[in-house]
Amino acid sequence: MCASVKYNIRGPALIPRMKTKHRIYYITLFSIVLLGLIATGMFQFWPHSIESSNDWNVEKRSIRDVPVVRLPADSPIPERGDLSCRMHTCFDVYRCGFNPKNKIKVYIYALKKYVDDFGVSVSNTISREYNELLMAISDSDYYTDDINRACLFVPSIDVLNQNTLRIKETAQAMAQLSRWDRGTNHLLFNMLPGGPPDYNTALDVPRDRALLAGGGFSTWTYRQGYDVSIPVYSPLSAEVDLPEKGPGPRQYFLLSSQVGLHPEYREDLEALQVKHGESVLVLDKCTNLSEGVLSVRKRCHKHQVFDYPQVLQEATFCVVLRGARLGQAVLSDVLQAGCVPVVIADSYILPFSEVLDWKRASVVVPEEKMSDVYSILQSIPQRQIEEMQRQLFMEPARRENWSAANHQMNSLIWPREQWDSQIINDRIYPYAAISYEEWNDPPAVKWGSVSNPLFLPLIPPQSQGFTAIVLTYDRVESLFRVITEVSKVPSLSKLLVVWNNQNKNPPEDSLWPKIRVPLKVVRTAENKLSNRFFPYDEIETEAVLAIDDDIIMLTSDELQFGYEVWREFPDRLVGYPGRLHLWDHEMNKWKYESEWTNEVSMVLTGAAFYHKYFNYLYTYKMPGDIKNWVDAHMNCEDIAMNFLVANVTGKAVIKVTPRKKFKCPECTAIDGLSLDQTHMVERSECINKFASVFGTMPLKVVEHRADPVLYKDDFPEKLKSFPNIGSL
Amino acid sequence: MQSWRRRKSLWLALSASWLLLVLLGGFSLLRLALPPRPRPGASQGWPRWLDAELLQSFSQPGELPEDAVSPPQAPHGGSCNWESCFDTSKCRGDGLKVFVYPAVGTISETHRRILASIEGSRFYTFSPAGACLLLLLSLDAQTGECSSMPLQWNRGRNHLVLRLHPAPCPRTFQLGQAMVAEASPTVDSFRPGFDVALPFLPEAHPLRGGAPGQLRQHSPQPGVALLALEEERGGWRTADTGSSACPWDGRCEQDPGPGQTQRQETLPNATFCLISGHRPEAASRFLQALQAGCIPVLLSPRWELPFSEVIDWTKAAIVADERLPLQVLAALQEMSPARVLALRQQTQFLWDAYFSSVEKVIHTTLEVIQDRIFGTSAHPSLLWNSPPGALLALSTFSTSPQDFPFYYLQQGSRPEGRFSALIWVGPPGQPPLKLIQAVAGSQHCAQILVLWSNERPLPSRWPETAVPLTVIDGHRKVSDRFYPYSTIRTDAILSLDARSSLSTSEVDFAFLVWQSFPERMVGFLTSSHFWDEAHGGWGYTAERTNEFSMVLTTAAFYHRYYHTLFTHSLPKALRTLADEAPTCVDVLMNFIVAAVTKLPPIKAPGGPGPRPKPPAPAPDCINQIAAAFGHMPLLSSRLRLDPVLFKDPVSVQRKKYRSLEKP
Repeated sequence: MCASVKYNIRGPALIPRMKTKHRIYYITLFSIVLLGLIATGMFQFWPHSIESSNDWNVEKRSIRDVPVVRLPADSPIPERGDLSCRMHTCFDVYRCGFNPKNKIKVYIYALKKYVDDFGVSVSNTISREYNELLMAISDSDYYTDDINRACLFVPSIDVLNQNTLRIKETAQAMAQLSRWDRGTNHLLFNMLPGGPPDYNTALDVPRDRALLAGGGFSTWTYRQGYDVSIPVYSPLSAEVDLPEKGPGPRQYFLLSSQVGLHPEYREDLEALQVKHGESVLVLDKCTNLSEGVLSVRKRCHKHQVFDYPQVLQEATFCVVLRGARLGQAVLSDVLQAGCVPVVIADSYILPFSEVLDWKRASVVVPEEKMSDVYSILQSIPQRQIEEMQRQLFMEPARRENWSAANHQMNSLIWPREQWDSQIINDRIYPYAAISYEEWNDPPAVKWGSVSNPLFLPLIPPQSQGFTAIVLTYDRVESLFRVITEVSKVPSLSKLLVVWNNQNKNPPEDSLWPKIRVPLKVVRTAENKLSNRFFPYDEIETEAVLAIDDDIIMLTSDELQFGYEVWREFPDRLVGYPGRLHLWDHEMNKWKYESEWTNEVSMVLTGAAFYHKYFNYLYTYKMPGDIKNWVDAHMNCEDIAMNFLVANVTGKAVIKVTPRKKFKCPECTAIDGLSLDQTHMVERSECINKFASVFGTMPLKVVEHRADPVLYKDDFPEKLKSFPNIGSL
Repeated sequence: MQSWRRRKSLWLALSASWLLLVLLGGFSLLRLALPPRPRPGASQGWPRWLDAELLQSFSQPGELPEDAVSPPQAPHGGSCNWESCFDTSKCRGDGLKVFVYPAVGTISETHRRILASIEGSRFYTFSPAGACLLLLLSLDAQTGECSSMPLQWNRGRNHLVLRLHPAPCPRTFQLGQAMVAEASPTVDSFRPGFDVALPFLPEAHPLRGGAPGQLRQHSPQPGVALLALEEERGGWRTADTGSSACPWDGRCEQDPGPGQTQRQETLPNATFCLISGHRPEAASRFLQALQAGCIPVLLSPRWELPFSEVIDWTKAAIVADERLPLQVLAALQEMSPARVLALRQQTQFLWDAYFSSVEKVIHTTLEVIQDRIFGTSAHPSLLWNSPPGALLALSTFSTSPQDFPFYYLQQGSRPEGRFSALIWVGPPGQPPLKLIQAVAGSQHCAQILVLWSNERPLPSRWPETAVPLTVIDGHRKVSDRFYPYSTIRTDAILSLDARSSLSTSEVDFAFLVWQSFPERMVGFLTSSHFWDEAHGGWGYTAERTNEFSMVLTTAAFYHRYYHTLFTHSLPKALRTLADEAPTCVDVLMNFIVAAVTKLPPIKAPGGPGPRPKPPAPAPDCINQIAAAFGHMPLLSSRLRLDPVLFKDPVSVQRKKYRSLEKP
């Protein structure tokens, strides 16, 4: 702005000396000059701002100013689309090797205007939708402006609607793109393929090996694992803001809103209407609308006029019948309205069918079963219908239309492109792919549901045994007793001592008790409680017994039985003394309970069996700051473990045998009541803290414990497998 | 003069300004007119057009609702898809009914047994006219049986040509509209949604039951090799990926360093198994990897993965591009333990559910086709892809996962808090008044059903109970006890024999336990199976031992789904066996539940009071059932679930289930 300021200062100084009648003239003149200078000054005097803000001359250009390219009539034409193309034959994966983050890079060719020898343009330059689409790509993580780094190329030649194209010339335009190379790694977007009279189901423009994201593929033209089927965009539903409608019965059971249906189909539908009366509604174009009413937004049945697409929300099922083309824009409208689509289009490849489970949100009926549509739909249980309606809320077409409804035009096409890129991305980097469930599960199901990481029902063989991990600081004498006791358990296969004292060396090798299994000592870098749950490489068995260095009262039978119980429940925490969490109604928070109750929701990890995978989870996947919190407070690592396992498996702990306390009752009496009480307060705090971090209370309360089959039965003791089960 | 001078100076200033304007602005204006060159280096995305508002939509609103009406498209010549080449109108009513062409001439043992297996299944029909699918087995090439064109061929409509092994048998007739189920079809010839891709079965694949998966533990053992590679003659060798940058490069194979390879194994012992995608023969390696729990890494497969229509292979295998060896290797090495754990388990589940025997493969094929016919009432993807699998989770029971006992946790739901007591009154036919009172006393009891199954006339008076009591006048067959009566309205069933005696608190506690384990049977009285060396067969004992593998259904909780499974999925022969030897029915029910859950049942306290010992089933019963299942699914448990304070030396006042402890 410095230029304009300079002239502004000089201007007013001259003006007072002039006569009024000239004044206006000069002012006008000056202003023009000024404006001219400002305009030129923009580009001339601020070269730096051009560099820094692209808004001015590089990006804010007129569509009319794009360069013109003349296509000679004899310029090469690509081969027709290669139907045998697959990722590993037609796709050049080497171009995609640049990306350590498993993200493909997309390049967009600059926009050009193509004309033939006579200067007649080949097609419309670009449509609004394609422009938005390219804009969305360019804003995404996938975009690159470096053609040499790109893995996927998107031509700016708009082929969304084949009707607007001159096919041969468009193909010639493609062929002269700088990296065309038989169309390898080029991605074309098309929504309305084919043309009269035979309406091919894929874009007729010869495109050789180019990938096609098309609306309206049939099984015959779709190259499985190569092309992507996309929904046909409906400009209408983008304009209209429809309120969200929950699952439940609607006024009409079945609705057909399409105009221009094949007369045979219309007859079939009208027959249904006659047969089933009010619950079926077949709409058509309005013939007698008054001037000025937008006919696209109205549908009629006889003389009744309905608002479209609003009327779709009044129906449970909406017919999406194929016309000359398989892909119908009405599908987008129907999805947006939350109406379950009944797709009657034989051989149609539904949008994103590779990753979307359409079974969960739509009904596909063969064309020859048209007349039975009503009874087919009637046979679907109401609950399944409601599930479909719920599922609709997360269909991508719906989501993208939602954003459109919010007038965020930018995100209108964006999700679609994201989906395409994601699908192709998954093909190139399948090991980073998203599973079918992640694509399909509505958030509502995810909430409260768990996917157990150890979902395979499996009883590990007894021969594998378990690894005992003893966390110790300096109670060597007690530690040695524990080692000796635990070593008597038949299924012990290794003993690991975690030496948590940095100031003192562990005793010499010769001093350790001699036991029949390997004994290893690991020294830690810091005295932290979480060291107990570290996934040490030394753990070779799946079963881990965490045991404190002062727990000597558990008998060998008890420990062996605990291991046997763990084998039957390898995805749970199996421990001895149980604890309970309770809701304190007075304080309005959770309370820790160690009294002798009839219920259990936690076990102490002073002695507990669990799967070693939970060590990995505890160390690397513990939510929030729980791990640090435990280390800082030197308490509650066992409660944290109970929370973690219950949260990830959705299952309760297993308490084994009557054991209620680790230490003899008289010993705790010495500690005194006050100590006990502060302990309880701290533990209660832990529960409240963890529950807030997890965002839920994952612990499950049960009323059972595991005993040996013949425990306390009237049966000869010596015939029992585990006769020596201690009490309390 | 002054004014002229002033004007002159003004004009001067003006013309100077204009000159300036032209000089300075001209270039810029020129540049505006010229096409802007992209600046190298400067990042620029897609331009924001000044006149973007003026752009037109790709299709005008009037144009979108279909441009022109045209007659429906005829299917392209020769090519088939489901809608155009399969006539579902024949499949109304009973769903999929399959007719199998009888074999001509001498047939192999495999062929005969597959025929027998289909004939025993619920899909079978003996009349080609009533069948919706006509199955043409084309099994072994040697016998040359595939040469004859069957009678009801009808251009192959509604036919499925099943080829278990890629037969080099020349096609003597046109396949026409027939679907083809064959091993590892190439991607190019496979018609998705119409053909069925089968696994490549080795010659000696077991017919029934089949070997269980090799996975003994959920997570890979520490120190196990990362990669196993195919070897000649069906072996595997493990590769040390640390030293080799080209694990599947030919050079590495020629020069196996000392530490690089280990001796050949018939089943791979590694976390990942590399399988070439070029040769369809490699597909047999795919099955080996699944069985071994070795995650298959398929390099650019050109063949369709088995049952890809329903199985989500992204959860069990990795499809990689062979052209990116380093990236794939790096990705495998860096794969998170959670993903490895999930993939490994899924391989095992899929192997056990669909691939471990020829019978399973064939039943899966039929189930895939039945799902196509069912349309909306087909198995949801979840049922196919999580244990126990679609063969054991019947879509005829329900298509909602939460109706089954297996998916409560995945669905975030819980089993209902109520149960239905189903009391079977066999001979001598005394109304079980005491039992009814005890059961009706439970707070969780929703209804009582009495299944009157003896010669005596129905008593006219029944005790007054707090819950509705329904009497069903059953047939005299024992298998009726497990019929899916529509009157059962709760998820849980307490199955009782009129002669059982239970107390209310025993019922209450056992039901609470069942709610924690809704897919298992929770019972009171137990029995065990054992391998009888002397007789070379399975034995049965109801003696009290330290472990058990069955609970008696004379008093047991289980999910009502098992009634459907018992009635609709068991071969008829087995149900007849149970009717003929009533004591066998316990064994049979335990077999079904164990085959589905792969877990032992659960014992709750109660039961062994002073009551008559149940009669032991016929000794041969367990062996017959095991033979029909093809394997022994029963598993033993060594624990009993008791109340938390059971028989503890603490005050009785603290205990919720006091009466359980009474002797």
